[in-house]
Amino acid sequence: MTILGGIGFTAPWLLLGLAALPILWLLLRAVPPAPIRRRFPGVALLLGLSDDESVSDRTPWWLLLLRMLAVAAMIIGLAGPVLNPQTRQPGGGPLLIVLDASWAGAAHWRDKIDLLESQLTEAARAGRPVAVLSLTAPEPLNFQPADVWRSRLAGLAPQPWQPTGAQMDTALAALADANQGFDTHWLSDGLDYPQRADVMAALQARGDLRVFQTGTAVLGLSPATFADGAVQLTAHRSQDAGAREVTVLAQGRDPGGTARTLASVPARFAEGEAQAQAALSLPSELRARITRFEIRGQRSAGATALADDGLRRREVALIAGREDREGLELLSPLHFLEQALAPNADVLAGALGDLIPANPDVIVLADVATLSPGESDALTEWVEAGGMLLRFAGPRLAASDVSRADEDPLMPVRLRAGGRSVGGAMSWGEPKTLAPFAEDSPFAGLAIPDDVTVSAQVMAQPDPTLSDRVIAALDDGTPLVTRKEIGQGQVVLFHVTANAEWSSLPLSGLFVEMLERLAVSSSAKTPDATDLEGTTWRPVQVMDGFGALSDAGALPGVAGADLAAAPLGPDLRPGLYASEDRRLARNVLDADTVLAPANWPAGVPVEGLTVAPERPLGGALLALALVLLAADVIASLALSGRLGPMRRAAVVLVAAFLIPQPGQAQENDNFAVRATSELVLAHVLTGDKRLDEIANAGLMGLSDTLFFRTSVEPAPPMGVNLETDELAFFPMLYWPITSEQPTPSAAAYDKLNEYLRSGGLILFDTRDADIAGFGASSPNGRKLQQLAAPLDIPPLEPLPPDHVLTRSFYLLQDFPGRYTGRDIWVEAAPPDAERIEGMPFRNLNDNVTPVVIGGNDWATAWAIDADGRPLLPVGRGFSGDRQRELANRFGVNLVMHVLTGNYKSDQVHVPALLDRLGQ
Amino acid sequence: MTQSPTLRERAEGEAGRLPPLLARAEHLAGTVLLGEHGRRRAGLGDDFWQYRPAQIGDSRRMIDHRRSARGDQQFVREREWQIAQSVMLWVDQGASMRFASSEALPTKSDRARLLGLAVAILLLRGGERVGLSGTDLPPRRGNIQIARLAQALAVNAPQDYAVPEHRAMIPHAQAVFISDFLGDMDELRAALTKAADRGVRGVVLQVLDPAEENFPFQGRTIFESIGGTLRHETLKAGDLRARYLDRLARRKDDLAQLTRVTGWQMGLHHTGDSAQSALLWLYRALDRGLA
Repeated sequence: MTILGGIGFTAPWLLLGLAALPILWLLLRAVPPAPIRRRFPGVALLLGLSDDESVSDRTPWWLLLLRMLAVAAMIIGLAGPVLNPQTRQPGGGPLLIVLDASWAGAAHWRDKIDLLESQLTEAARAGRPVAVLSLTAPEPLNFQPADVWRSRLAGLAPQPWQPTGAQMDTALAALADANQGFDTHWLSDGLDYPQRADVMAALQARGDLRVFQTGTAVLGLSPATFADGAVQLTAHRSQDAGAREVTVLAQGRDPGGTARTLASVPARFAEGEAQAQAALSLPSELRARITRFEIRGQRSAGATALADDGLRRREVALIAGREDREGLELLSPLHFLEQALAPNADVLAGALGDLIPANPDVIVLADVATLSPGESDALTEWVEAGGMLLRFAGPRLAASDVSRADEDPLMPVRLRAGGRSVGGAMSWGEPKTLAPFAEDSPFAGLAIPDDVTVSAQVMAQPDPTLSDRVIAALDDGTPLVTRKEIGQGQVVLFHVTANAEWSSLPLSGLFVEMLERLAVSSSAKTPDATDLEGTTWRPVQVMDGFGALSDAGALPGVAGADLAAAPLGPDLRPGLYASEDRRLARNVLDADTVLAPANWPAGVPVEGLTVAPERPLGGALLALALVLLAADVIASLALSGRLGPMRRAAVVLVAAFLIPQPGQAQENDNFAVRATSELVLAHVLTGDKRLDEIANAGLMGLSDTLFFRTSVEPAPPMGVNLETDELAFFPMLYWPITSEQPTPSAAAYDKLNEYLRSGGLILFDTRDADIAGFGASSPNGRKLQQLAAPLDIPPLEPLPPDHVLTRSFYLLQDFPGRYTGRDIWVEAAPPDAERIEGMPFRNLNDNVTPVVIGGNDWATAWAIDADGRPLLPVGRGFSGDRQRELANRFGVNLVMHVLTGNYKSDQVHVPALLDRLGQ
Repeated sequence: MTQSPTLRERAEGEAGRLPPLLARAEHLAGTVLLGEHGRRRAGLGDDFWQYRPAQIGDSRRMIDHRRSARGDQQFVREREWQIAQSVMLWVDQGASMRFASSEALPTKSDRARLLGLAVAILLLRGGERVGLSGTDLPPRRGNIQIARLAQALAVNAPQDYAVPEHRAMIPHAQAVFISDFLGDMDELRAALTKAADRGVRGVVLQVLDPAEENFPFQGRTIFESIGGTLRHETLKAGDLRARYLDRLARRKDDLAQLTRVTGWQMGLHHTGDSAQSALLWLYRALDRGLA
């Protein structure tokens, strides 16, 4: 293969043919084009004129150029050009392929697998045994034929962590165990991590090392924090590749429960900056829905930041029993609560009755003793639905009889009367301090400051359930905080006041931490190890390397301290963890992560990921030559004036190639659009071609008549196939009966019945002028009985003289078509229909009659041809015209009846209405 | 048996062509009438002349009740009796007229028939008698004549360049000749001279396609007449342009000179222009002749 300018040629000598092009140019130029034949009346004036020169016009230069290009494309195409010719020499001996397989490579995982596959293919061709080592999931080296590895490619997946120390040790041990030399291809993810140099040294000791690494920067996203009223997002990148903008998407569920992108915000990396900030200001409702943030187009665990309670601002309703003393803020029962909650919760204030419908997360009742029965019921309902009721004791509660003899449903324990006071001026003993929190308490692990003392409290009655409900106690064992679960919610009682009157607890930081542990408030910053000391967290959902969440299943719980600080690995996967009501996300990156790019020593060759496969260009060039030649044909025809007649054919031909065949759905849509964009009369297709044509022509005539005479302006009628077409679009169906037509299927009958029940009308026409008596005397009559048997048709009667059909537009008493039978059958009037006093008509059915049955062959009388003339003869002479006119009038009346229902019947009430109006 | 359906089909086809032409012509004529609002010329038989007492033999419907109601006697309203002019129409039906240089343009024949029929409608409404020159359709009055004219105008002539029809000219009548006048000038000269001899005056309207005025052709070309009887081959059509235009101008000069000598008027219309302006000009020109 010869390579010219990056393109290889399999038959380069053919290129010499290009030298013949100038000769061809001269030859083509010398030959005159064929004459154009033109029709031109002015030729009479041209006769006798001779040409000045004998040289003809030459072929235009652009046509010559077109032909030259076609020939050149053909020559080059035959010379066998190949793009990206592969010239590298394959190596020999065993090959180790090392994968970082961390989250950093997930965004380009497809490329990695493609590269891996191409290397395996190459190795298989060279017969080299191959071992694959994933550093995030190391296993002992196992040299196998490349094809075996190729079948296992699908099982490789990036892990959501960087290689940990233990894994690197395993990998180093595996390398040390290998008892042969090998070359190494290292598919790096582009990020640095500890002990990478050690592995590199071990690999270089065994043979050649080649590194494959994408040149693009690895992007990551720190956990979102909430500050200054907005969600703060920080994106990181591993390399400075100039100014760049990435889009951070906030994903979550909409109110309908569908996962979708709730918001997006651009983050801009300035030149030379490795971090980009973005602030996303969202309403709290929307913010609470966010489940994760991700960088658009980066499908990796590192570019995904899960959202947890840190973003969720709980709504806390504060209600105090005593707020009569204006201005004494420090004594207000709610002051300390407000101070503790304001930074990271939305505080609601108002009357209890107004707040419960707002469905807050927490309702705090500070020293509220008695509740009205209505409030109590509403509150109980709210708690049972998952609300958290936090109560504080106080003088009122101590003085009241609430939960004294019997346990109040909204109190966790029974209370003794009066409470107790310790360490005051009038009492013995010291103020009490808090006992350490028990292991099973939600407060377990919180450090208790020495200066927290309790000088007064309400006392719990010792009940059998009391010990289960205590979650914090004083050092003498008396309960300080008790809790009871009600339904899905809970009631928590602090046996002290919410202000500093009874204890110094509200003054301490412990108070805030306790509220956090109770999930009354959520911390604004990511908790650190000490905050989580003593808690155990259960994984709810874990992320894979691509950032996709999956159910955690039976993964073991994680200690709080580990969750905050331990490095990620197989034992601590990134994901969403829960403890009691709190949820905490462990993300791949934390706030102070720096993405360091992997640097390789100068001696190690580093290549990009992209593999450019060999691409032969010959076929494309030959196709181009053909296209050019086709264009030449068209251009030549156009020049010689012969394109005109062929233009239309060419357009049709091209259109036939370019326009895809419309599918069935398209046809259905077209049918629906045609049937619904205007009022359309329809007839049932019987399968008898002649009959269907007459029915169509008949409805065409009726449509025209309606158009001319009434404000009903129908579009051209349509034939309806009962089996496939939707009937609901049509106000009425004309159904001519033949004895040969097929009986519709059960599904079609369902459709027909649905149509009849929903107000459609079918005009059955036996076309034999005989059936009106319902006799089975004619074949069409028998067929009609057979066809109509499964239909949901009400009782019928011959059309009474006061039926609304006789006066819905024209006043008619006869309904002739091609025949003049008097009797047609419609839905029977109810037996109690009576004539109203002074009215000429009975008040008949309220609805449109679902069927009209007759045999007068109306379509024939209505039918017109394309020029609007009657298609078929009706009667003789003038009386025939009169009969046709009456047939048309019947059609108009029928359509009016279908469209207006019993409107004309209702008109009989007009005098009464006018009378009532005093007109 | 087989004859009648084809005859009927052909007849219907022919009849089918009439209404559109008629409708378009009436439409066109209507625009001119609107433009000439309120105009009443001598020749209308509508003008009041006098009242006279009703006599035996007068139909009752002739009695003018407005006048009669003033007294006991019954009066009949008599109208002015005026002589109408005869106008003879010749529209070139030759093959050369069935040419349009692009699909967007009407053929010359189409435009010529439209103008001819429209002016006929105007004249007939004005009370004149209109017919075709020659013996086929002598001038008559009335609306039925419009239909007859439309029918006669819808016939294509087989020859390439039709010859002006100048037989049976009614002395002192008016005539309208519409053609492209690309054929033999001698025939036209004979026709116009003969007409001038008989005191017939009128209008010559030349209808040309824009391509005939511009000659936008290049390269080696064989020009053929529409009927295919004439052909001319050239190697460089572009070089012929100047000489063609020269000949065309001379043809127009000849025509102008001929009409001047015979006392006719000459107009030029291109199918690319609006038919209405041509109709207006035509009607005005005839008006001058009639007045």
